[in-house]
Parts: sequence; structure tokens; C-alpha cells
Amino acid sequence: MPLSFSDSPTFGPPPLDLAEYRSQLNSWLDGHHLELSANYEAPGTLGEHVAQMQRVKSLLWHGGWMQCGWPEQVGGRGGSPLMRTELGAAIAARDYADPGLFSLIEVLAPTVIEYAPAELAAEMIPLLLSGAEMWCQGFSEPGAGSDLASLACRATPKDGDSETTSTWLINGQKVWTSLAQYSERCVLLTRTGTPESRHRGITAFFVDMNTPGISVAPLEMMNGEREFAEVFFDDVQVPAERIFGGVNGGWSVAMSILPYERSSCFWQRIGYLYNRLQRLVEVAPDHDRAAEVIGIAYAELHALRSRSRVTQHKLEQEGTLGADTSIDKVLVASAEQTVYDAARKLLPGMIEIDDTPQGESWRLEYLYSRSTTIYGGTSEIQRDIIAKRLLNLGDPK
Amino acid sequence: MIDAEDRVLLDETVRAALADNEAGNASHNTIDALLKQLDWLDLLDADPLDAIEIVFRALGHFNAPSTAMDDVLSAALDIRPVADVAVLVPPFASWEPAGRIDLKQEIDARGLATSRSDTAKDLLVVCGTAEAPRLARVGMSEATSERIVGVDPGANLRAIIVSTRATEVSDLDPQKWERTIAWGRLAAAYEISGAARAMLEMACSHALERHQFGHPIAGFQALRHRLAEALVAIEALDATLVSARHESTPLTAALAKAQATRSIREVTRHCQQVLAGVGFTTEHPFHRFLKRTMVLEGVFGSADEILLEVGQRVLAQRLAPTLIDL
Repeated sequence: MPLSFSDSPTFGPPPLDLAEYRSQLNSWLDGHHLELSANYEAPGTLGEHVAQMQRVKSLLWHGGWMQCGWPEQVGGRGGSPLMRTELGAAIAARDYADPGLFSLIEVLAPTVIEYAPAELAAEMIPLLLSGAEMWCQGFSEPGAGSDLASLACRATPKDGDSETTSTWLINGQKVWTSLAQYSERCVLLTRTGTPESRHRGITAFFVDMNTPGISVAPLEMMNGEREFAEVFFDDVQVPAERIFGGVNGGWSVAMSILPYERSSCFWQRIGYLYNRLQRLVEVAPDHDRAAEVIGIAYAELHALRSRSRVTQHKLEQEGTLGADTSIDKVLVASAEQTVYDAARKLLPGMIEIDDTPQGESWRLEYLYSRSTTIYGGTSEIQRDIIAKRLLNLGDPK
Repeated sequence: MIDAEDRVLLDETVRAALADNEAGNASHNTIDALLKQLDWLDLLDADPLDAIEIVFRALGHFNAPSTAMDDVLSAALDIRPVADVAVLVPPFASWEPAGRIDLKQEIDARGLATSRSDTAKDLLVVCGTAEAPRLARVGMSEATSERIVGVDPGANLRAIIVSTRATEVSDLDPQKWERTIAWGRLAAAYEISGAARAMLEMACSHALERHQFGHPIAGFQALRHRLAEALVAIEALDATLVSARHESTPLTAALAKAQATRSIREVTRHCQQVLAGVGFTTEHPFHRFLKRTMVLEGVFGSADEILLEVGQRVLAQRLAPTLIDL
């Protein structure tokens, strides 16, 4: 059971220097290794992964680490956001929590801080950081995947018009909502303009998932896990003060998520991929064909990490990121597949027919890696963005 | 370090000078003279990696021939670069010291040199092994030199054979030899990066100008995605070059050179396809860039050789460490 955030001690500002922070963090993690390690047998179920992550977040919160890099107004200790990135990467590299789950903080919290009323943000963010809650992101719909601006899940004023109503009614469906079944809150995009209004007629809500009228149906992925779900909304009532970014201002809320999703989240994922490559080189055969495969995977990870480092520093200096993060997304997707393809090549049968826990872990992750070119904007959509925005090739025919 | 503003200015100056001199059609003498005017050697002395980055990117961008590689290698060996001393580069696709030397200082070496060797008085030859390298100086008149035509006559390479007694031999600090390989690799990788951007620019302009089926071919998704992939490859290369500066080690330089090979293969493949027929003719400059980078790939090893060695090392140590931090 995660501890409540309110019984946590208060901490001063974190060390200013990133290298100093990293070294203090690593020695703290070394000292708490047993507590932080997963207490189930690998590979574990998704439910076990989620519980483990919340336990790790709670330990980190009580140790004062979860707060580093977050603003004081929302319960943080201040300091550079790069500290969050360092923390997530260390957690991933040490295998304390799944980076896909852990880095959801980066997808949601910055947006809540930017768009929620100050009091709401101050109340909510500690719940997420301390492991007391999980949140999810309700964006995609059956008819709105790559073309997010065509989403149709409807929000209408319950009484009066959009200016005066105190409550909104939400009806419709979301899909691919990761971890909806574990989540207490959802950042939800809805249609408030005409069906043709596209990105101009979208409104973002912060919805409590226990509101009557919400039902969640997890979908089974091809690796057997139920990470994402369909979410149905049937006359769900949400107070107007839970609107982020104003009525019809939801598109900028959605876009504000990208910089962190494509920077700190990726850095965490990269730490995890190095961890998996390390696992592979510990057991791979030692011959030249293997060396070639390993050499290529290692080079690809290094190029990806190099790119991601440039991106993180750009975000820190400029405060925002643009279309160039599509390049990071393309690179992270192909590097992850390269690592697992290398495992499949060098450990024959491990992924296909090995029923030991080790085989199961590789299999689960290999199958998951097939989705990297699909989730978070397909590689094709990224290339469209690169062609139009970075190469100025104009509109497609 | 040169500050950011000076860097931009310098970069612009070098590029403007190369552009004014139609560098792609100029001789290496013209470009060498131009670099001299721009105080390239002072810059190389003051801030070697900045100098290499600025000059070699620009050389690549303009497909300009030069003998600046001799200056880089000489500086890395801690020998003041001068116009009448050339440096023997290890044979294509390798980075072992190019020569063997016996107790009587008889040298037996094979390798490559730039056109500086045509007029140079002396040749610097690194002999022995990477662990115990020795640096020898031999008279150029004692070496046989043959002009290489190859895929890119404009690369101005010479095949050199040395079989003579050295006039001067000394032990070389192994770290200086490592540095020589690293700087040679970075110079080639920056030149490849400059060429890659030039190729992508050519392919993008062609795609916007060329109409088929009543539209610029830039509108067709199949081609847009190829061009996007080319940019991804270039950005991956440039990022590894940033890392090679941030964590300056033999391994990060090796990985940057390997990435140069991997990226340029992607870039040439996609850009050639977008340029299609015209890019296959000598009327379009694309082929000169393609051919130059094919030669540059082999200087101090391409991805094929480097990544095999890196992979062997990772497997031998059973360690795949991260090399850069935030």
C-alpha cells in the first residue's frame, strides 16, 4: 500500500549540479537496493509491474528524490527538470520499474502543471509523484488514431451554454488508453466544436475515473499483457473547472505533452534499452557474427542516446521542443527493435520456444518492441512531419 | 574554445570562401591556399576539434579537394604541420600503423597519402603496433607513389610504398597514435556529414522542382519518406559527432565514424532514388559527392570494420556501457 504523500517529510532544494545530483542519487539507490528491487518473479504480470512502480515511487518520494526537478508550488523541490530525467533513467537502468510505466509521469504532470488551476495542480501532482495515484491519457479513438484532430468523443454543456454551464456531459469512446484500469484520473480530449472543426474544436478535461458513467475494457496485446484499454463515456458529468486550456483550447494542451514525452521519457527508455543490451551481451555467444550484431546494436543505441542528449539540452535551454522531436521518435523506435532483433538472432529459440522465466521475459519484450513504430505517433506520421516541417517539402499530394 | 559567435562567423567565412572559389571544381592547391589565408593552421593549433569540425564540414559540403588531412594527422602526432611534410594514412578500411620497422630501422610500409605527397620533402610513417607505435620520418624520394584513379579521381589519393631506412625514428606515445586515429576519423566523419547535407539539399530541391503527373514529386509520400529518412540519418550522425566532442575518447570517435558510414549509406541510397535519372548522370553534381563519400568511408575504417571490433570488445568484456551522460 503506497504511503500517503501528506505524511512525507519536507526537503530543501536539490543540489544545483547535475553530476552531484547523479552521484548522490546513485549512492542512495545503492543503499536502498533491496527495498527497491521487485519482489515478484520475472517477468511478472502487468498488475505486479504497476504495484512495483507505485511502491518505488513512494520510496523515492519519502527519500525526497521524486520531488527533484518539479516546481515548489506543486510539492517539488525545484531544480532542473533534467534531474527527473536522470532519476527515471536510473530507475530503468536498475530495473526497479518499467520505464514505459514510470515515464508516464512525464507525459502527464507537466501538462497538468501548465494548464490546471494552481490549487488543483498543487493538490494533484503530489498524488501522482508519490505513487498514491496513476493517471492516464485519453486521446486516441477508434476513428482518430494518426489523425488525432478528427476525434469525436463529445462534450456538451449540461445546462446553459459553454460559457455559463457549471457541468459538462461527456459521451463517446477512447481506445489505446494505457493503464486506464489502474488510473484515478484521465487527461481527456473531447469534441466541443462542430465535427468539421478539427483541432480548433477540441477541449481537454481532467476527469476523475471513478465518475459514474465511465467504463473501462482492457485490450489484450499480442504479448498477453493488458496495458491499454477501451474507455467508454456515457453521460459522464465533469465540472467546468476541470477544463484545461479553455473551451476549444484542447489542441495546445495535447501538443504540450510532446516535448516531455519525446525527451525525458525517451532518455529513460534508452537507459532501459542499454540494460537489455547488457543482459544480451552477458549471455550471447562469442563469435564474429555475434560481434557484428552486437556492434551494430551498440552503435545504434549510442547514436540514439547522443541525439536524445542534444534534445534534452535544447529543451532545457529553449523551454520548448518542436517538430524535430519526430527524429527522436523514429530513432527510438528503430533502436528498440534492433536490440530485440539482436536478441532473437543471437539466442536462437529463446523468444520462440523457451518456456523458462528468462524466455518469457525476452518473448514478452520482443513482442512489445514490435509496437514501437506504431505507438506515440507511427513512424510514417513522424516522416510526414519531418518532410513537411523540417524539410519544407510542402503539403503531400 | 572559440566562442559561439566567432564560430558561426568562422564557419560562414570558410563556406563563403569555398563558394566563391567554386570549390568543387577547384584544385587542391587552390583550396589549400585558401585555407592558409583563413589561418587554418593557427586555428588547428588553438582549437583542433573546432577547427576540424568547421573546415571538414565545409569541405564536404562543397566537395572540395584539399590536403588538410595531412595537417590534422600531423597535429595529432604532435608534429607542426607544414606544406612539405605528408603523413602516411593506413591502408583503406584499416587503422593499424601502416609500417613495419626492424632493428636496423629498415621500414616496410604501405598506405595512402594525399596529393601533398607529390611535392612533400618528407613523409611521416607510423610503424610498429598500436600498443608500441614508433614514428619515422623518411624522404619522399625514397617512397614510390602511384596516383589512384579509383571511384573518385578527385579525392587525389596516392598509393604509397615505403621500403627504406628511416632518417629519423622515435617512440610514439600510444595515446598520440590513438588521437591520430580519432582525429582522422572525426575529420572524415565531418566531411561525410557536410556532403550528406549537400546531397539532401540537392534531392529536396529536385523533388520540389521536378513535376510529374501534374505535381511536384515532393508531394508523393514515397519520396517524402525517403527524404525524411535521410534527414534522420544525418541528425543521428551529427548527434554522435556532438558526443565525440562532449566525451572525447577513442571509442566515441570510432562510433562517430561508424555512424558516418551507416548514415551516408542511407542518405546516398534515398537521395539517389529521389534524383532518379538525372542523379545517375554526370550532368548532375550528385555523383561526385557519392563517390567522395565512398572513399571517405574507408579512411581509418568504415562501420563494417569498426563495429566488428567494437562488438568483439563488448563481448570480450561482457559489458555494454553507456558512454555519455546528460
